[in-house]
Amino acid sequence: MTVLLSAEGIRKSFDGTRVLDGVSFSIAPGEPVGVFGPNGAGKTTLVNILSGLLRPDAGKVSLEGKEITRLSLDARYRLGIARTFQIPHPYPSLLVREAVSVALAANGRGTPEEKGAGDSADGPVEELLARTGLFNQRFVPCSLLSQGCLHRLEFARALACRPKLLILDEVFSALSAADEEDLLALLRKTNGDDGTAFLLVSHNPPLLKSVCQRILVLEEGRIVRERNL
Amino acid sequence: MSPWRTLPSGPWADPFRGGWLAAGIGLLLLFPLSSPNAYFIDVFTTGFLLAAFTASWDVIGGIAGQFTLGHALPFGVATYACALLTSVAGWPLPLACAAAVLLAALVGTAMGALSAPLSGPFVALLTLSLGEIAHEVAAGHTFFSGPGGYAWGGEGGIPVTLPWVDAPPLASYYAALCLLCLASFAMLRLSRSRMGLILRAVAGSPITAQASGIPIERFKRMAFTVGSVFAGTAGAGFAVHVGRATATDLSLELSFQAATFAAVGGCGTIVGPVVGALVLHVLLQALSLPPSARVLLYALTLLVTLRFFPGGVVGTVRMAAWRVLRKDGVRPPRAGVGRPEGDGR
Repeated sequence: MTVLLSAEGIRKSFDGTRVLDGVSFSIAPGEPVGVFGPNGAGKTTLVNILSGLLRPDAGKVSLEGKEITRLSLDARYRLGIARTFQIPHPYPSLLVREAVSVALAANGRGTPEEKGAGDSADGPVEELLARTGLFNQRFVPCSLLSQGCLHRLEFARALACRPKLLILDEVFSALSAADEEDLLALLRKTNGDDGTAFLLVSHNPPLLKSVCQRILVLEEGRIVRERNL
Repeated sequence: MSPWRTLPSGPWADPFRGGWLAAGIGLLLLFPLSSPNAYFIDVFTTGFLLAAFTASWDVIGGIAGQFTLGHALPFGVATYACALLTSVAGWPLPLACAAAVLLAALVGTAMGALSAPLSGPFVALLTLSLGEIAHEVAAGHTFFSGPGGYAWGGEGGIPVTLPWVDAPPLASYYAALCLLCLASFAMLRLSRSRMGLILRAVAGSPITAQASGIPIERFKRMAFTVGSVFAGTAGAGFAVHVGRATATDLSLELSFQAATFAAVGGCGTIVGPVVGALVLHVLLQALSLPPSARVLLYALTLLVTLRFFPGGVVGTVRMAAWRVLRKDGVRPPRAGVGRPEGDGR
C-alpha cells in the first residue's frame, strides 16, 4: 500500500505527564481517516504534532517516505499538509478575501491585486470563496464572521495549498446542523474530486462513520482500536 | 497583537485614496509663501523628518504588529554614522548618508533577528533594552577626541561636516518634504503589496498565518529591516538638517514619541502616523514643554487614544466612512475589540 503520511512511535509528555505514548499509524493517499477518543486522550496533541505545531519527544513523522518530524507548521503546509483549528483565529484587520489571499500567496498562487476589487468570480481567490460558500462575504472583515463562516474560512485557507492531507481538529463541534451538513458535503467533495486524504478528529462516532473509511480510537495516548468501515 | 488593529480595510474604507493627500501636500508646498518666520519653517522641517521616522515605526509596530520601543536605534545609528563618517573619516556627505542608511538596515536586521522569535511585550522589552544600551553608550562616553584636541561625543554629540555653511531654510524645508513624500509613498506601496498583506496577517494572528504557510519569523525580520531602512533615511536627513548627532537621537523618548504619534494617527495606516506626527510635533513645539513634561504628555495621549480612539484619527475616520458607505447593514467591528486567542490546545 502506498503511504502518504506515517507516524511511528510518537511520544509526547507535558511536565512529566505522558500525553502520547507510542502512537503509530499511516494514511494512504486519498484515504479518509477518523480519530475518536475521550477528552484528554491526546487527540489535539497528535494533530499538533502531525501538523508541525509541536515536536514529539520521540518518534517520527514522514510524508511520502520523507521524514518531516522537524519541519515547522508553515513548511508542512507548503508541502501539502493543511490543518484547521478547533477554535479559528481570524485575522482581525483583514477581509475574508484578503485572508484567503494570504494562504494563496504563501504558495505563490494569486495576489491581492490579481482581480482588482474582486468582483469577478474568476481567479483562485474567488474560486475558493465560491467553493466554500463565502463569495458573498468576501468584503466582510474576518472579525465579523459567524462561527460557521469562520470554519468555512478555515476550509478555504486549508484548501489554498491544494493539500494532499487535510487535518481537521474538532471542526464540527460548534456548528449548526446546516453548517455541519454543508461542510461535510465540501469535505466529501474535496476527498472525492481532488483525492485529498483527511484526518478528522471528532467526539461524534456517527459523524466519523458517515465520512471516514477507517477510525482510530485513541485512549490515554495510545491507539487502542482501529476499525475499517 | 496590537490592540488597535481591528480596522476594516477595503475599497469603501480608505478615504485617503482620493485627493486628500494631494491637498495636504499642496498646502505644505504653499505654506512657505505665507511668509512664516524661520522658526516655523524649522519646526515644519524637523516635523517632516520625524513624520517619516514615525511612518517607519508604523511598518514594524503597526503593519507587522511588532511593538518596538527601540526604533530610535536605527535612526540614531544613521545620525551618528553621518557625523562620524563626514567629520572623522572625511567621507563626502552623499556617500556618508548612503552608508548611514545601510548601517541602519543592518542594525534593524539584527534587532529583527533577535526579536522575531518573541511576541507581544517581549518584543517591546528587548528592543527597549537594545535602544537604551546604545543611548547610554552614546550619552555617557566621550569616546574619541577630534582634531584640535577637544572631546567629541557624550551629551554634546558629534558635528556633521556639511559641504555648505548655512543652508537656506526653504531648501531644507522642501528637501525634507520631498523625503517625507517619497518615503511615505514607498511605505504605502509596501503596505498595499502582497508583503504588506502578509505582514498584516502576521500581526493579526501569527498562528493562522503560520498555518497558511507563512514563515512568520522571516517576515518579522523583513519588517524590521525595511522599517529600519526608512528610519535610517529619516535619521540621515535629520543629521544633515540639524548638523549634529546627539545621544537624544538614540533615546527612549524618540521611540516612545514615534509609537505615540503612530497610535494617535492610526497604527498600520502609514498616512495616519505621518499626519499624527506632523500635527503633534508642531503643537508640542508651540507649547515649548520641557522633555520630562513631553514624555508625560505622550503617555497620557497614548492612554487616552488607546482607551477611547483605538483606531487613531485615520481609524476613526475609516470607521465613520465604513458606517456611511457600507450598504448591506453589516455593523463595523469596534476598533480594538478582537477575538480572544487560544484554541484549547
